[in-house]
Amino acid sequence: MKTITLTLKKKSPISLEFDELIPDKIYNWEKADFENYDVPVGNTRFPLTDYFDIEVEGAAEGPEEVKMILDGDMGRVKYIGCEMSAGEIVVNGDADLHCGAQMKGGKITVNGDAESYAGREMEGGELEIMGSTREFCGCSYIGEWRGMSDGKITIHGNAGKQLGECLSGGEIYVKGNCDILAGIHMTKGFIQIDGDVTRWPGGQMKNGNILINGKLGVLLEGLVFDQIVKDPEIEGKNFSGKYIKYTGDIALNGKGGLYLNAEKNRDLL
Amino acid sequence: MAYEPPVTDYDEIVENCTCAFCGCNCDDLDYLVKDGHVVGVRHACRLGASKIMEDMDQRLLVPMIRDENGDLVEVDWEAALDKAAELIAGAVRPIFYGWSETSIETMKHGIRLGELVGAVLDNQATICHGPSLQAVQNVGYPVMTLGEVKNRADMCIYTGSNPMNSHPRHMSRYSTFPRGWFRQRGRFDRTVVTMDPKYSDTAKMSDIWVGFDQNGDYGFYNAIRAVLKGKELQQDVISGIAKEDIVELAEAMKNTQFGALFFGLGLTHTISKQRNIDMAIQMVTDLNKYTKWVLMPMRGHFNVNGFNIFMAYEMGFPYGVDFARGYPRYMNGETNTIDLLTRKECDVFMVIAADPGAHYPGGAVKHLAEIPVIQVDIHWGPSTEIADVVLPGSFIGVEAGGTSYRMDGVPIYMKKAIDKPETCRDDEWIMRELLERVQKIKEKEAVASK
Repeated sequence: MKTITLTLKKKSPISLEFDELIPDKIYNWEKADFENYDVPVGNTRFPLTDYFDIEVEGAAEGPEEVKMILDGDMGRVKYIGCEMSAGEIVVNGDADLHCGAQMKGGKITVNGDAESYAGREMEGGELEIMGSTREFCGCSYIGEWRGMSDGKITIHGNAGKQLGECLSGGEIYVKGNCDILAGIHMTKGFIQIDGDVTRWPGGQMKNGNILINGKLGVLLEGLVFDQIVKDPEIEGKNFSGKYIKYTGDIALNGKGGLYLNAEKNRDLL
Repeated sequence: MAYEPPVTDYDEIVENCTCAFCGCNCDDLDYLVKDGHVVGVRHACRLGASKIMEDMDQRLLVPMIRDENGDLVEVDWEAALDKAAELIAGAVRPIFYGWSETSIETMKHGIRLGELVGAVLDNQATICHGPSLQAVQNVGYPVMTLGEVKNRADMCIYTGSNPMNSHPRHMSRYSTFPRGWFRQRGRFDRTVVTMDPKYSDTAKMSDIWVGFDQNGDYGFYNAIRAVLKGKELQQDVISGIAKEDIVELAEAMKNTQFGALFFGLGLTHTISKQRNIDMAIQMVTDLNKYTKWVLMPMRGHFNVNGFNIFMAYEMGFPYGVDFARGYPRYMNGETNTIDLLTRKECDVFMVIAADPGAHYPGGAVKHLAEIPVIQVDIHWGPSTEIADVVLPGSFIGVEAGGTSYRMDGVPIYMKKAIDKPETCRDDEWIMRELLERVQKIKEKEAVASK
């Protein structure tokens, strides 16, 4: 097991890009390799040691034996764990854009907030955000119709707009509130939101399921009332209580399911 | 409005000029020229005519550099270009923003400069029709040319747009009033619908005004699509519109022969942004199962579409293209000017034929005031107040020729009518000079590092 600890000593005003510092590429790096490494910043590269104190302990045979700990405010460190396939990354602070984007395996824990595009086009693994995240969590690349396809994202705080845009697999679990258009264009997968949702979940959805335990602000006309279900089982999970089930989006002949907690959404009954 | 007698005192008429104001690019203007100045413009709207005639108003005439006391002082071209090149060559996160009021020929040098130094190239789409371009990438672009609308359309819808104020000749030259091949009676053969929360000047002269709630666009178009699929609407009022009215409107839209939908910033900048356009495009797709429907964004500047087309052709992405890592990247919220400025990432900003000082949100302008700004423009504006190097350009379509793209993507060559002031230079020349100077600095750096 190898533990790599990067402790922030100077926050750069311009974002650092960490797409090359993933367990898959650095599992055999020694401390000297990190000290010789130049990290991309804007249109140039600067020594990693300008920004971080580096500690390396133990040895690893492969990426799955690597644990990276990023201490400090990573609010200007983009692409943390981008495209990683194994290992673990712990961020003790906020994370910048694209945290866990395109990841294929392993685990990322953010002990703070994550910026937009967390878990973009994720193909596997686990991303846990202890704080909140912003727009386009688990989304697709612009113009692509396949977003996150597997894995799990857990958000303990709130999620921003267009959560799980074009979701085509996997699971997103938001314990807080969520802004507009959760699960827009989704074709597969499951989104669970425990808090309130402002408006329009499931816009233009084709398939997959969204379950909302809180209060919904505005419902779209494209979703058609189906039935009231008691203790539903969705994607192998059991939920207790009464739920109002809608299917849609009818405009796309969609067969997606939207489950609203009946107790909290009495006005829709 | 006071009566203004026609201009009769002029030396010559320059015919078939192209207007350099909005995305309509009206190419039927006649300039009345006297003593090397345009004193009158025929056929143009008031917006276009005033821009062309008052080209010397608050004109930037000489290059300037801001000194230690914070005052702009006049310098020669050599000093100003060297200073600008030095700033660009030394930047870590430079942005070249603007381009929408200059020619494609200028962009050609700009793109090479951007690629050389690893800059972000962005244009006004980032604050206007950027969401439209994202939606087009998602769900396609059922576009037409304006000539098709003129000759065929029997229903024109303006949504989130007020062309009577912003594109005054759009309705008279392309969409509503002109007599077309299949619409011999002009306005009488067409139904005009305005969808806008505001009872705008365009709504006043429309046949139908749909005043849906602010931020209600997405829900409203979703309801129209549901009706087109044969669903009976459940809610009595959707986005502030009674369900009977939505059904009636959907029927009317189905029963046209050729429908054209024009959308403006009212649609791109409400709460659901690109998804409004996404939904509107898909609604047009649905309508095409019944009859012919097309849609088009009402682009603002005369060459804002040109930059997007040029950039998409050259680099694969329409705007907000980041060359920082040596290859083009494009990601909304990451490589767009406003985000880079509000996150305080940008360290050198070059503005070409645009006025971010007037149009940007406060946080972005605040950061602009703290970093070096290079301005290439023809008029003194809020951006000049925060600029550190000012390079006076020339007026495309009046003082310099150049290519521009109309809002429907038709390229139009804008010809030169008069000479520019002696101390000014063409935008194209300025960009080429900057490129050559930065190239020299980079070559020196490469030799020194070896």
